[in-house]
Amino acid sequence: MDSLEIIIKYWPKLLDGTLMTLKLTFLSVLIAAIISPFLSLTRANASPIAQAPLRLYISFIRGTPILAQLFLVYYGSGQFRLILQEWGLWGFFRDPFNCALLTFVLNTTAYQTEILRGGVMGVNRGEIEAGKALGMNKLRILQRIVFPHAYRIAWPALGNEIILMMKASALASVVTIFDILGRTRQIFSRTFDFSIYLWAAILYLCITAIFVLIWRQAELRLNKHIMPSDHLIVADDHLSAHKK
Amino acid sequence: MSKADLILEANDIYKSFGTVEVLKGISLEAKNHEVISILGASGSGKSTFLRCLNFLEIPTSGTIAFHGEPVNIVNGKPVNPKHIEAIRSRLGMVFQQFNLWTHRTAIENVMEGPIYVKKMAKNLAREKAESLLERVGLKDRMHMYPSQLSGGQQQRVAIARALAMEPDAILFDEPTSALDPELVGEVLKVMQSLAAEGRTMIVVTHEMAFARDVSSKVVFFHAGKIAEQGTPDEMFKNPKTEVFQKFISNI
Repeated sequence: MDSLEIIIKYWPKLLDGTLMTLKLTFLSVLIAAIISPFLSLTRANASPIAQAPLRLYISFIRGTPILAQLFLVYYGSGQFRLILQEWGLWGFFRDPFNCALLTFVLNTTAYQTEILRGGVMGVNRGEIEAGKALGMNKLRILQRIVFPHAYRIAWPALGNEIILMMKASALASVVTIFDILGRTRQIFSRTFDFSIYLWAAILYLCITAIFVLIWRQAELRLNKHIMPSDHLIVADDHLSAHKK
Repeated sequence: MSKADLILEANDIYKSFGTVEVLKGISLEAKNHEVISILGASGSGKSTFLRCLNFLEIPTSGTIAFHGEPVNIVNGKPVNPKHIEAIRSRLGMVFQQFNLWTHRTAIENVMEGPIYVKKMAKNLAREKAESLLERVGLKDRMHMYPSQLSGGQQQRVAIARALAMEPDAILFDEPTSALDPELVGEVLKVMQSLAAEGRTMIVVTHEMAFARDVSSKVVFFHAGKIAEQGTPDEMFKNPKTEVFQKFISNI
């Protein structure tokens, strides 16, 4: 079989793997995106003592390899099987997908929190004061001033983190999950044709490229307010051209 | 003057940053329709005092009463902090650095307070914002972002933003100090028209002409205390203290 025949025969499996990679990445990034704003506020504003546990967690995540974290959750949970069974959590940890998802959520939450903290701390104090002076309450100030700016500042770094997470999700294949890499290894073990790894690389490359394109368009839209007026028109044309 | 005319009353305000005492017992009252100019060298505490009036700085001790309702401050903590947001919503503020929200257009900046603090309907807020921007001469710029406006234009948007809340008094914190000299005039003109329609204003400024010609009362700060106060006429013609004499002769 040449490599074209292999791809014709096995593309449904690769597609299935692609969907798994997207699902794992999307879910972990989404769950982290819901948690990290709260944690980033704690990191930006809370007293050093109050945020000590959070810093410990972030240091641990950033200081250890994600593969080690995955093993810790997947194999480590087996060590505590009896306790987990007692708590009714064994059903969750028995499924490798859940273990991978949990690990990736814990991992990317730590990074997203730190990225967003930089954004929160980068918001112009004066604009916050203007909100206060108008009588806005704290929640409104966060919603209308702090986070709109924080996300704009953090946007490129967040995009970077999502790409890194997408590629790190290939580690899930080590704990028996059939994502892109998992399927690729499976196909290789049947065909012994190395070119299937090339197809996998192309898949990862395509996902990244599409994501970068979407993220870029969003960035242009978010940053309308700091572009000189003629660029603004160009950006608008660019966006509307894309819609068609 | 009846009691009802008293809008803002600051009593014995002290403020320290660490070990540095910036305000050393300041008392000042603002009556309805009064335009008070606060003068003083930099470091004299005038901006800090103004920021204490709407609690952007919390004084170390003292009392600030708004329409006769006092907020007492003990050990740097307001005794009834719930009042603060309500007071702020009725007390406009214009900043030296404009502090417009850069991610919103001029009209969105002006609509923000009425919609999100006063819960006004969006279309009403928009109409109001349009007429206010027209009033400060920026109707044709209302869909521009702050980065596309000059300093003077930004400051006029900021004034419109303060006016949109229909405040009982407006605080101005050196509103022209960050502007190029040729842009100062357009902002002062707007402020002058506000004074002429009887708005209550407290203005920290270095514009002597404004203090002399527009305000009804001048207060001179020196080293964290009020060194001298009076009508502009008395103050500029017969300065009583040596420090104020020296201050105006240096300008």
